[in-house]
Amino acid sequence: MGAALTAPTLLAAPAAASAVSPEPAHSPNAEDITTLYWISLAVVVALITLVGIVLLLAVLSYRERRGSEPRQVRGTRSVQLRASAGLAILAIAMFVVSVIYTERAREVSPSGAQGLQASSAVYAQKSLKPLPADGEPLRIKATAQQWLWRYEYPNGAFSYYKLVVPIDTAVVLDLVSTDVTHGWYVPALGGKFEAVPGKLNSAWFRADETGTYEGRSSTFSGSAYAAERMAVEAVSPEEYQAFVEQQKRDIQEAQDSVAEQIASGATP
Amino acid sequence: MTPPPATTLAPSRPELVTDGFPQRRPRWIELATSVDHKDVGRMWIGGSLGFLFVAVIEWLLMRLQLAIPENTLFRPEFFNRLLSLYGETAIFLFAIPLMLGLFCYLVPLQIGARTTALPRLGQLAFWMYAAGAAALYGSLVFTPPEAGVNPLPPLSELAFSPSNGMDVWLGSTGLICLGFVFNAINMLATLRNLRAPGLAWRRLPIFAWAATVCSLLLAFIATVMVGAITMLLIDRNLDGIFFSGEAGGAPLLWQHLSWIFYSGAYMLIVIAALGAIAEIVPALSRKPLFHRGAVMGSLVAIAVLGTLAWMQNMYSAPLGIGWAYFAMAMAMLAVIPFGLVLFNLIATMVGGALRMRAPLLFALGAIAMTAVGLISELSHSMVAVAWQLQNTTDATASTHYALVGAAVFGGFAALYFWFPKMTGRTMGEYLARISFWTMLVGLNVGFFPLFLAGLNGQVVDTYKYFDDLGVNGYNLIATIGAFVLAIGILLTLVNAVLSRRSGAPAGHDPWGGSTLEWFAESPPPPHNFDVLPDVRGPEPLRDIRDAIAEQGAPSKAGAAESQPVA
Repeated sequence: MGAALTAPTLLAAPAAASAVSPEPAHSPNAEDITTLYWISLAVVVALITLVGIVLLLAVLSYRERRGSEPRQVRGTRSVQLRASAGLAILAIAMFVVSVIYTERAREVSPSGAQGLQASSAVYAQKSLKPLPADGEPLRIKATAQQWLWRYEYPNGAFSYYKLVVPIDTAVVLDLVSTDVTHGWYVPALGGKFEAVPGKLNSAWFRADETGTYEGRSSTFSGSAYAAERMAVEAVSPEEYQAFVEQQKRDIQEAQDSVAEQIASGATP
Repeated sequence: MTPPPATTLAPSRPELVTDGFPQRRPRWIELATSVDHKDVGRMWIGGSLGFLFVAVIEWLLMRLQLAIPENTLFRPEFFNRLLSLYGETAIFLFAIPLMLGLFCYLVPLQIGARTTALPRLGQLAFWMYAAGAAALYGSLVFTPPEAGVNPLPPLSELAFSPSNGMDVWLGSTGLICLGFVFNAINMLATLRNLRAPGLAWRRLPIFAWAATVCSLLLAFIATVMVGAITMLLIDRNLDGIFFSGEAGGAPLLWQHLSWIFYSGAYMLIVIAALGAIAEIVPALSRKPLFHRGAVMGSLVAIAVLGTLAWMQNMYSAPLGIGWAYFAMAMAMLAVIPFGLVLFNLIATMVGGALRMRAPLLFALGAIAMTAVGLISELSHSMVAVAWQLQNTTDATASTHYALVGAAVFGGFAALYFWFPKMTGRTMGEYLARISFWTMLVGLNVGFFPLFLAGLNGQVVDTYKYFDDLGVNGYNLIATIGAFVLAIGILLTLVNAVLSRRSGAPAGHDPWGGSTLEWFAESPPPPHNFDVLPDVRGPEPLRDIRDAIAEQGAPSKAGAAESQPVA
């Protein structure tokens, strides 16, 4: 059928090449996912094209003609076995390739030289030799609620909606939810992961350059689900340190002022 | 017919004499109280096609809202209600019931039975479906459900969905699923006990075999769904904690149970459509199916592997990675039976004499569109790619290609093919062609752009998207395409309604079929068959034709009826 070919022709057109590419990856796991995506796209397009062409040829070549009675051919078992073997090879190959790239995407790679040198900074004072990053990931707790994400940084500071992280640093997110199931999804930083109440899930990324990466929740969570978005701002380690310190001070100040007002009886 | 004797002799023994048939009640009462599988089957098919129309309207309304970014046409609550209704209508009220209706009508005819084994259970099954549908749409007068297509707890728990719309969703879905189970039991008992003499399992028509596989699958998955629904009803109404988040329940358990059902239902719809297509393609190619055994085995394998891959919908949930790989392995292995069925269908056409009538046209469309959907679904089976693409409109697109391909194109192919048997009249060919091409264009224009929008990161089930996402054009095109598709679907529904009265008379066997239903009259009498031919192979009518050809009889069609044995 002609329309079966619509998909591959559209995909094959060079002008459409950018349309079929996912958001540019800005994290090693997102790069692995993108590589596997291109492989899967090639397989999918090849298979759809093959099926489309064969169907079209069959339809065009074997129309009913007056006076000709088709030969009543039946397939043999060996033909079926050979077809199955071919399909099995395809299935196994796709499975193996998928496992390889999925394992790569799952592996938390250590923080790079530009990244936050959390504990190596301490050692650096003892020996003047600059040490490589020790690769210890930065753990941040991401708590989902209807319809907002809250991030808790290691020093106790927290922020809503926007997560600020240092570049070139492995960040591990501990995803939890306080109410319903939510989905964490920042395409440029690789994949979506659900925050399920009562369960701990994790995601990781290592942003390669500064900038803001937009994301949106990906599991239906009620009426304001469409507005439940998130953003990750990747900054230099110094700016990150400054941000969390400032955030902590601001929160403390705000809390102190509220406590003061309560103590003075100004606010009920 | 022997002419009546010239003189009438007094009967030697007393005869029962009546003045015609007993007075019948009005037609609708006859239909509603009927336990005849043909009446029940027609009600399933009629009901499901009605709900196809409703589902199309709901999809169009959602597409209208999504035609432009940040649209304020509908409130989010209204959109979410449409979403819930659409999800239930498309799967529970249209796609599965259409297949069950075809099974109910055709299986006894295909196996040479006069009725189903448990006719009252079959009748109850339909009326439970009708009651469930009435309950769901009855909720429109107070609060319809709004917790999404698959209402995941804790969102569907009392705390987050306090309206009783959610209870209606559960109650109606539970009723319908229980009806599905009863229908499956009826079909299995019929297939087990009422096959014509000589009709061994291995000689079953492919569609009846698909009905066997689907009924076994449905008896299993619908029971699982009824279990999950019962648990959630207990949670909501009796302070249960099966799926609650904080109280020590397991929200993920619902995901497992419901995805077992939805994955199985997906497979069921595709298997039933493939079963119908595997009857249509040989009949209209005038060649036997290339290899029956391979197709029969493949349908079983699709049911098993496709359902076992349910966790491929849960890759992003906190699940051990081993389970994800297990699901991926099952999904990848399912490539083998799917590929084999496709191979055999195409091999049947090769060297055949294709009559491009409406059933074959729609069957080919179904093969092509379902293939596009299933093949692109492969990306969603690969764990890492699925992390990126699942829950985006990319998944909407591939699911709709596969299921609109199977349930609408495949279902319509079956309708065009068996409509002459059900009504005695053929559906209009001209309108069928217009409908087909409109639908084919509509499906591709209406869903292909969603692949691209999904790559840009547009997530599913949202009542709006934002301008900065860069998916405005894709969504506008998808909305236009949805309207084209809707027009195409409507044309076939209109065609069916018109052809019931004014279609060309069809006769017993308009397509040169090989299975027993074409031996019965069109429409079949209440008892289906006066006599049955001897079944000595999977294609009894072809055997008769061959025997006649050997004897050199002049008229095939007329002679076929004078051949009945026992």
